Formats: sequence, C-alpha cells, structure tokens
Amino acid sequence: MAKENFIISILKKCNPDPTKAGNLLLNLNALGILFAAGSNTFAAAIDKNTSKEDKKFLVPAGAATGVANLGIYYLMTNRIISHLKNSAQKEINKMDTLTLEKNAKTYAQNALKKAQKGLFKKSEEYIKSMEKTLFENGSEGKITAKAIELYKDNVKAAGGVLGAFIGAVIGCSILTPIIRDVSAYFVQKHMKKSNPNITNDDLKHFYTITSLNNSLNSQNKMPLTMKNYMNYSSSQGLKI
Amino acid sequence: MNIQSINNNQNNPGFKGIMKPLVKNAGLVAALAGSSVVAQKIVMSGSEAVVGPMIDIGVGKTITKITDEKDGKTNDSSKVQAIRTFSQSVGGTIVGVIMRLSCIALMTAILSKIGQSAGKLIGKEATKKDGVFRQIADTVVGDKALNAYEYEEKMKSWGKSTGGGIAVLIMLVTNFIIDAPFINWINGKMTNIVNNIQTKKQNKIAQNNASQKPKQANKEVG
Repeated sequence: MAKENFIISILKKCNPDPTKAGNLLLNLNALGILFAAGSNTFAAAIDKNTSKEDKKFLVPAGAATGVANLGIYYLMTNRIISHLKNSAQKEINKMDTLTLEKNAKTYAQNALKKAQKGLFKKSEEYIKSMEKTLFENGSEGKITAKAIELYKDNVKAAGGVLGAFIGAVIGCSILTPIIRDVSAYFVQKHMKKSNPNITNDDLKHFYTITSLNNSLNSQNKMPLTMKNYMNYSSSQGLKI
Repeated sequence: MNIQSINNNQNNPGFKGIMKPLVKNAGLVAALAGSSVVAQKIVMSGSEAVVGPMIDIGVGKTITKITDEKDGKTNDSSKVQAIRTFSQSVGGTIVGVIMRLSCIALMTAILSKIGQSAGKLIGKEATKKDGVFRQIADTVVGDKALNAYEYEEKMKSWGKSTGGGIAVLIMLVTNFIIDAPFINWINGKMTNIVNNIQTKKQNKIAQNNASQKPKQANKEVG
C-alpha cells in the first residue's frame, strides 16, 4: 500500500496537462542542457592538468556559457511555444460549430482507424471504449463533447510541440555553436594573456582532444586557435 | 506576473497563418500532439547532422579567408570537425533514441501495472469524503473512474513525462559509457570514408592531368 501511495503522490505531481506537451519537451531538454553544462563545468574544475589560477577563469567561464546557452534557449523556446499555442487557440476560436465538429470528427475517425490496424493495433476493449468515448452512435455517428475537447486540446498541444521543435532546432544547431565560439574567444584571450611564455605543447590538453588520439589528423593538433577550442569543447561536450 | 503582462500574453498575436494548415490536417495534429522527447531528439539531432557540419566548414573557410592563412590548416581542421559533428549527431541520436524509448516504455509498463491496483484504491477512497485520493479521483487513474481507452492514454502520457525525465538522468551515465566510444567508432569510420573519397578524387585528377599532358605534347608536335 505504501508503494501505491508513493506512486499516486508522484502521479499527482506530474499529472500532465495535454495542452502542455510542448512545455514538457522544453523542460526536459532544458534539464538535459543544465546537466550537460554542469558536468562540463565540474570536469573543468577537477581537471588535474589545469592550474588553480586558470581554473579561476575557466570554471566560471564554463558555467557562464552553460547559463547563457540554457537561458537563451529557454526564453526563446518558451516564447515560440506560447505564440504558437495562442495561434492555435485563435484558429479554433475562428471555427464555427459545424467546422469544429467536422474537424473533430475527422480527427477522431483517424485516431480510431489507427488504433484498429497496423503494428500498434490496440485491444478489443480499448477500441470499444474509444468508440464509446468519442462517438455517440458508432464511428459514423455524431461525435461527443469529449471528442471535441480532445481535438481542441490536441491542436493546442500540436502548436506547443511545433514550437518546442523549432526552439530545439534553432537553439541546438545555431545558438549553441555561436555561444561556444564567443566563449572560446574569451578563453583563448585569457590563456594568451595569463600564459605569455607557455609553449603550444603545454596547452594542447586545453584545446584539442585529438592530441591524445594519434589515429586522427595531425593537422588538428594546433592549439591556441578558436577552431581547436571548438574541437575540444565539442568532442568533450556532453549531449543529452 | 502582473495583470498587464497577463493581458499582453493573452493578446499575443501568435504566428499569423502558421497554424492554419495544421489545424485542418488531422494526421499532423495527432503526430505532433503525440510526440515525446524521442521525436524531439530526432528532429534536433537530424537538423544538427545537416546544419552543424555546414557551419563548421563555413567557419573554417571564413577564418582562412579573413586571416589570409596560407597553409590552410584551419580549413583542414574544420573538415575534421565537420566529420566529428556529424558523427556526434548520428551516434548521439541512436543511443539517445534507444535510451528514451526504453525508459518511456518501462515507465508506462510500471505505471500501468501499479496504476491498476492503485486504481481500485482510488475507487474506494474517492467515495469517502475525506479520502486521500478524493481530489485527484477525476483526473488520475482508476479502473473504475476511467475506461480502457482513457486509462491507457493517461498512462501513455505519464510514461512519456516520467520516462523522459528518467532518461535524462540515466543518460548522464550512458553518455560516458556508451556514447563516447560509439561516437569515436563512427568518427573513425567516417574519417576513413572521407579520406578514401578524397584519395580517389586526387587520383582521378592526377590521372586526368597525366592523360592531358601527352595530348598537349602531340598537339605541339603536330
């Protein structure tokens, strides 16, 4: 019984609102980015090859990069999701009752057809109760108020999910490399300033993982360039 | 949040027209609304696999041009990085999708099983005025409160949210154990493929040059 109570309390807390599917995707991706940034910063903090003096700069720089990446991604995606959900709501509001019923019926019929065949075919009991929940008199009859609500919720959810996808694509394919570049520029500047007499060999471990891997191109073993820092941060970077 | 900002949010213009074709397409609405973190990972990494290498090569070319680099080392290293970005996207997607799918399926199965026995509990408790599950009886599971369709959909929904969250936590470990060596393996294979293509290209150019030289010599003699 204790196990069930525990599960119920979890379920109560994570009871998912169907219209917030996009926000769920955003939050889970943001959690992944947060853990990744945290792990990278932690790895930099415990790296034995880095001096204490350099760590004073590298660790906050790593943390700041993570915060900037996460903050921009979260705010931007949240805004896109909210815009698209509002847009979906407006489209629903524009529909007259007949159009709404027609669209909801098509949606319900499609869902029923999908449940009846294919790889993920559902049980008899599921299909029967689905039909009963969505239609008043069989799949060709009038649809229920619940089916209309389901359609409305799913249109809003679709808007939110589309927003989450757009945000993820812009954030992870465009923003992350740009933020990484800017961060690399400052790290490079700091290293040059604080270590004017240091040799390139001494700095290899900062910038290029390929210095440890002889099977890769030797031309890549070129420290103190933004590109090599990118190689390092990209190959070392966690992606969850 | 103050009232003004809430009002602004409600008057949010939205992306005009972008949702218009979507609301009419029942299949697309269902596909998007039913998407989980798995679909997000595929979309995200798929775009990264295409855009990422292009950005890498573009940045390399730009740096070479701006700094007027003669040896072209940055350009070469950007090609290496492009292969790495591609390998990282492909490897990360394969492992990420498998992990996410497994966690969601596992959580859905666990919750469905426990939910069935807990459902009976809810059924009993919900009838009591001071029952612990009274407030959640309408929304939460219950083989008495919900029919098979609603119950399964609810469980799927819970499985997606809790499974997605657990996958993120598990991937903190699998990232080092599985992803890193797997990505290095893909990277090695991809580097070999690209190197072979480049060697073949160079050989072809060399052959063409060699075959053009005798022709030119013949012309000059003629």
